[in-house]
Amino acid sequence: MQSERAAHALAFEHGAGDPFAAAIRAARMAMIVTDARQADNPIVFANEAFLTLTGYHRDEVIGRNCRFLQGPDTDPAAVASLHRAVAAGEDVSVDLLNYRKDGSTFWNALYLSPVRGADGEIRYFFGSQMNVSEKKEMERVAGDVRERLEEAVDDRTRDLTRALEQKTALLHEVDHRVKNNLQLISSLLLLQNRRVTDPGVRGALQGMLERVSAIATVHRRLFQSDDVERFDVSAFVRDLVSDMMGAARRSDIKVRLDMERIDVAASKAAPLALVISELFSNALRHAFPREGLDGREAEIAVSIARDNGEFRIEIADNGVGMTNAAASSAAGKESGKVSGGGGFGLTIVQLLCQQLKARSETFDAAPGTRVVVRLPVNGAHHA
Amino acid sequence: MDDRPLDVLIVEDEVLLATELEFLVEEVGCHTVGHAMSSDEAVSMAHDLHPDLALVDVHLRDGPTGVEVVRRIHDDCGGVALFMTANLKRLPDDFAGACGVIGKPYSQHGVRTALSYLTTCLREGRAPGPPPIGLELAPAYSALWDVDGAARAV
Repeated sequence: MQSERAAHALAFEHGAGDPFAAAIRAARMAMIVTDARQADNPIVFANEAFLTLTGYHRDEVIGRNCRFLQGPDTDPAAVASLHRAVAAGEDVSVDLLNYRKDGSTFWNALYLSPVRGADGEIRYFFGSQMNVSEKKEMERVAGDVRERLEEAVDDRTRDLTRALEQKTALLHEVDHRVKNNLQLISSLLLLQNRRVTDPGVRGALQGMLERVSAIATVHRRLFQSDDVERFDVSAFVRDLVSDMMGAARRSDIKVRLDMERIDVAASKAAPLALVISELFSNALRHAFPREGLDGREAEIAVSIARDNGEFRIEIADNGVGMTNAAASSAAGKESGKVSGGGGFGLTIVQLLCQQLKARSETFDAAPGTRVVVRLPVNGAHHA
Repeated sequence: MDDRPLDVLIVEDEVLLATELEFLVEEVGCHTVGHAMSSDEAVSMAHDLHPDLALVDVHLRDGPTGVEVVRRIHDDCGGVALFMTANLKRLPDDFAGACGVIGKPYSQHGVRTALSYLTTCLREGRAPGPPPIGLELAPAYSALWDVDGAARAV
């Protein structure tokens, strides 16, 4: 054994005049060479940097397999990957926790590669070791910081989720109450209407019921959708028309809907719904006398479209026109006074259009009446 | 089922809503057999009166017990129930055995058309077409009454 070590010590001295050997001996990076053809692949060369890094004397490393650098906390998986590469004769790069002679540890970024002879057989392994403890420490600290941050974020997320759940529950509760109360108001109006015989009072109650129903439809629609802040006008109109036509029992009147999907802010839903409800109701009640239209098929057309940065809502009928049955309503609108049922309805339209910054224009469609409401698109987006 | 009027049980703790609903039920040619305001009342009336259809609110006098009422009407009495509630999101996926739901606030017309539609479904065991606006059917009853087939035929 002693003589063998001496032989390797001699080997170290070998090539003293060779500039490449001199460069490796003096390199700042720790380097070793192991002999693959000897039993247990022992170290046959170690440079000064290796001895400095590990704290061992040259005599203590030459002739030994380099596993003496491993210790209790060295990751067995990393060692196993090293063994696999050596057995397969492949390059390997692995970070290992290594132990110095004095027991202290360092992180060793080991690179090991086989050196083959002319016949292709592996003669040696060349290993280089770099102390990456500082980098590892920084990674560890960064990892700790990240972990603490993640914990903090998780905590906060839990708090916020809980708060959101509470808010959502509250919103559901309020929504539920609003809907129930609207139902209650409708029921009150309906119950009273069943007792009233005066046609004027019945008409007024019916008008109020329609308005409450329009608002109720808005609320049903608002919370059905996923987005509680936007209101789908076309979907509302479909519900509204179905309800009003069903209640009117006028199967002689056809309704044509031509609607693009447009959304407005939820805060505008109720006033816009009331405007549409009034205009549709007006056409339904006043444009078509029961006795018919001299063979013309009665029709109300509702169209909704985007037009030049505005939402354009048109309600057109081919009925008797403003000069006849709707004249009283139009007069009511012009003077702005709250007169009969139709007049009050158009006053509502006028006031709500002001609120919505919308313009409402009424045209003689000959035959019939056409009302166009233009609502600014941008006005619907309050930042 | 023959052509006699549908027997309807109203389960609703708001008395004004129930009163108005009773008018509507009679208007579409059904017959109201009773009005329950709590879950106990509802279950015992369903048991004794065997209504063809129970209209059930989720919130009753004793709390949000309507879902359980519907389940017991379905499981114990073999009856058909319909939710009438503003609490659509609180309903279980299987509707607790109910045939569907009418969302509150409902309209007179919505209830009328829904009741007429369900009368046909119950009498003929088959839907006359897709459900009207305002009525959402439970998946099990859509299948039972072959709504898809009916919708294609319409």
